[in-house]
Amino acid sequence: MLNRFLFLFFISFSLFAEPYYEFNNNEDEKRFFSLIKEIRCPKCTSGSLASSNAPVSEDLKKVIAEMIEDGQSDEDIKNFISDRFGKETLYDTPREPNTYALWYSPFVFLLICLVFFFFRKKS
Amino acid sequence: MIADISHYLSILSTAIFMLTFSLVLVLDRSAAHSTLLIKRSYSHAFFLFLISFLLYVYLALTDNFSVSYIAQHSNSLLPNFYKVTSIWSAHEGSMFLWIVFLSLWGFVFNLYNDNNLNVKNLSIGIISIIIVGFQLFLLVTSNPFEIVLPFAPENGADINPVLQDPALAIHPPTLYLGYVGFVIPFAYSLAFLINGNKSLNWEKKVKSWSVMAWVFLTIGISLGSWWAYYELGWGGYWFWDPVENVALMPWLAATAFIHSLSVASKSNVLRIWNLLLSIIVFSLSLFGAFIVRSGIIDSIHSFANDPQRGMYLLAFIAIILFVSLGLFISRFSMFDSSKNIKSLSKESFISLNNIFFGVLIFSTMMGITYPLIYELLYSQKISVGAPFYNAIYAPITILATVMLVVSIDSKWGRTIDIKGSFSMLYVSLAISLVGLVAIGYFIGEMPFIIMLSFFMGLVIIFRYSILVISNFLHKKYTNIPSVLAHTGLGLLILSISANSILSSEKVFNMKPNETRSFQNITVRFSELELLNNSNHDSIRATFSINSEGKSFFLSPEKRKYFARGQITSETAIKIMPFKDIYLTIGEQLDNGQWVVNVQLNYFIRFIWLSAAMMALSGLVIIKNIIRTKA
Amino acid sequence: MKLLLKTSILVIPFIIFSFFYLYLSKDNSYPGADYKNFNLPSFELENLYDESLISNNALKGTYLINIWASWCITCRIEHGFLTQLDDSNIRIVGLNYKDDRDDAIEWLVKYGNPYETVLHDFKGSLALDMGVTGAPETFLVRDQMVVAHYRGEINKMIWGDVFMPLIKGEGLADAK
Repeated sequence: MLNRFLFLFFISFSLFAEPYYEFNNNEDEKRFFSLIKEIRCPKCTSGSLASSNAPVSEDLKKVIAEMIEDGQSDEDIKNFISDRFGKETLYDTPREPNTYALWYSPFVFLLICLVFFFFRKKS
Repeated sequence: MIADISHYLSILSTAIFMLTFSLVLVLDRSAAHSTLLIKRSYSHAFFLFLISFLLYVYLALTDNFSVSYIAQHSNSLLPNFYKVTSIWSAHEGSMFLWIVFLSLWGFVFNLYNDNNLNVKNLSIGIISIIIVGFQLFLLVTSNPFEIVLPFAPENGADINPVLQDPALAIHPPTLYLGYVGFVIPFAYSLAFLINGNKSLNWEKKVKSWSVMAWVFLTIGISLGSWWAYYELGWGGYWFWDPVENVALMPWLAATAFIHSLSVASKSNVLRIWNLLLSIIVFSLSLFGAFIVRSGIIDSIHSFANDPQRGMYLLAFIAIILFVSLGLFISRFSMFDSSKNIKSLSKESFISLNNIFFGVLIFSTMMGITYPLIYELLYSQKISVGAPFYNAIYAPITILATVMLVVSIDSKWGRTIDIKGSFSMLYVSLAISLVGLVAIGYFIGEMPFIIMLSFFMGLVIIFRYSILVISNFLHKKYTNIPSVLAHTGLGLLILSISANSILSSEKVFNMKPNETRSFQNITVRFSELELLNNSNHDSIRATFSINSEGKSFFLSPEKRKYFARGQITSETAIKIMPFKDIYLTIGEQLDNGQWVVNVQLNYFIRFIWLSAAMMALSGLVIIKNIIRTKA
Repeated sequence: MKLLLKTSILVIPFIIFSFFYLYLSKDNSYPGADYKNFNLPSFELENLYDESLISNNALKGTYLINIWASWCITCRIEHGFLTQLDDSNIRIVGLNYKDDRDDAIEWLVKYGNPYETVLHDFKGSLALDMGVTGAPETFLVRDQMVVAHYRGEINKMIWGDVFMPLIKGEGLADAK
């Protein structure tokens, strides 16, 4: 009775029948936890896979775990997910010409301010 | 009936605030009788609005579901406390509270007498018209008084269990008190500009108000972080979510502002900074409201997806900003800034401080808006998250801390004496180096930036400790708030670094009665219960934990709430001296095992402790100001 | 120098405000719609009814793929529209998402079956490959290429504004 209730309560259709998330080594495990924090939940308004209980998030976590076990790189995994769910799933904004403005503008801004600051004092 | 009275009082209040503004325009502001009239008018307007709000609270407490908003956000089964807090759980009600607080600050400010009647009255007028703007926004676009006709739902709305939480209930009011508090320095600085007399020390008049607002903001942000930690289940305390960021920006500006305020008398350049910062802080507060309430950015907090509201707010903020900036620019020449700051004097460090904070604010703004820019330009969506913000904040903060410790030895009006002053700093550096080596030995390999952060955190703490000791020995004055707040900063940096490098987590697939171990901790799945509550069912998994010789139980749960079928995960946390043991349960696997997530979160309590230290230092500043006046 | 400072103090906020104004005025009536084109992922799934294997090569021409499940409450609402749509010459392929076979078949008996074929994606693997985040969702596929993806239930208005322009654009929908 309890078992049936539990099963109904949390229907989980695992993509993989084998127990997952138990990794063979620490590196893999660290990669897993790091990745699920960096990848955005496709269904939620905001938040990473780590903080989401949504079914699609659970599926993606399983996929990530399996891909890590499979020996795929972080980049492979991120590409896999962003190909299917969009580039917006990557909280680690890619560094490409379109985003240089984002990544470098703070330092440019700092430089300009410092130039102003030192230049003013000398005058 | 009561709803109508409450509504009417709000409208009346708007009219009286409008009247107050008109009085300020029309009357002789330097006269005592005008001042009295203006004061009375403002007070009446405020009390009308306050009573309107209290009546609204009464409506919520008495389950008056004919009011649409209350029907949508409250429920007859809620405890009274949560009936009240449900008022600010969404846009219209929280806006209502926002304006109550805004007018409250003005009211209290108005209680104090000011020799300069003209400036004081001008500032009250400015505050009044700002209040009117928000009241119109509320009544026209976001009316909390709309009636549900003709059938009021019997029990109200489905309860969102996530919102029934004390921390989450106090977090918005505390934040709002912070945000709106900055209307005081804003209005007063504008009044100063209009008045045109540069010898008036407006900075001194607004200092304690600004610090108080800053204290509220600090506490409000910390509450949000603390709540997110135990509620959201991933063990993090800061996500760089857009709405966290829009609260952080005014806080950064406010921190720069209160530092800069203390330097008013020393330099004209800094007086210009002060004016600009007072405008920026308040504008960022308003901008935060805009971002959250326009639905323009996807975020956990987004209240409503209503472009019309967004447009109104945008226009309102634009008007406030451009009028104030216009005023600022036109009076720029008030200050003869030919008197330059001496390089490497304390004033120059404060200036530099403003630059560092400015860069952080710029970067945060960049991070929030870049997805929007990208979407407009390339019709594609991207996200900006922790990697970007960490990449910017870490190096900038480290640079700022270097500047901080150097500045301790700086002097007002003179260049720092390189030869003589730095002995205490060198000692701190040496001790910190030893400390760093010890940490490195204990922790092992760590990224360079973390090493630097540890080092600077230690330097700050040791430098200030030596300062305190030295002052004590030489019977010199110690600036306690400065020591407290900056030591808090050092602790914050150390805690964030330690938390980042030391924390770990592991997932186990376990059946009841199985045991696993991890990092000197054993976890035994001792019990699985099915519980029924009035509004939810839950599965509670109890684990017997053994750590550092101590034994205890932790019981995370998975809950299903009847009302919306919402499933939540309740974390179980054990607070130990240097770490938290943090447990959540996930899904049940096909083979009957449960996914169990164990986290060790190091030094996280120290992060909030450091925030508390900073907030406390603010209170000490205010206490000191009050003492000197008495 | 001072002039530069003064102008930038006014210009920078002006740029920021104009930007937000532009963004707010952008037409965002269908946030659930995504027109990014991508190839229909290769798959091999069982037919819901007879368990025969169907692969992506078997589906040619222009058709909708509708993601649905018996546990999905909103799908019931959408289904009324889909059965009505069935009459108007657009082919609909159903993708039964993470559902029990018997439950699904029973549901179709109860609510009607507008689908020319129903794929049983028990594990949700094809759905994952297509970027599905839940049910109901609908894709417009043309010659092995996905040309539109709508997240959420479809009604007459959405059908008209999101899908029809694309269908009309390439000529007549395939006759059954």
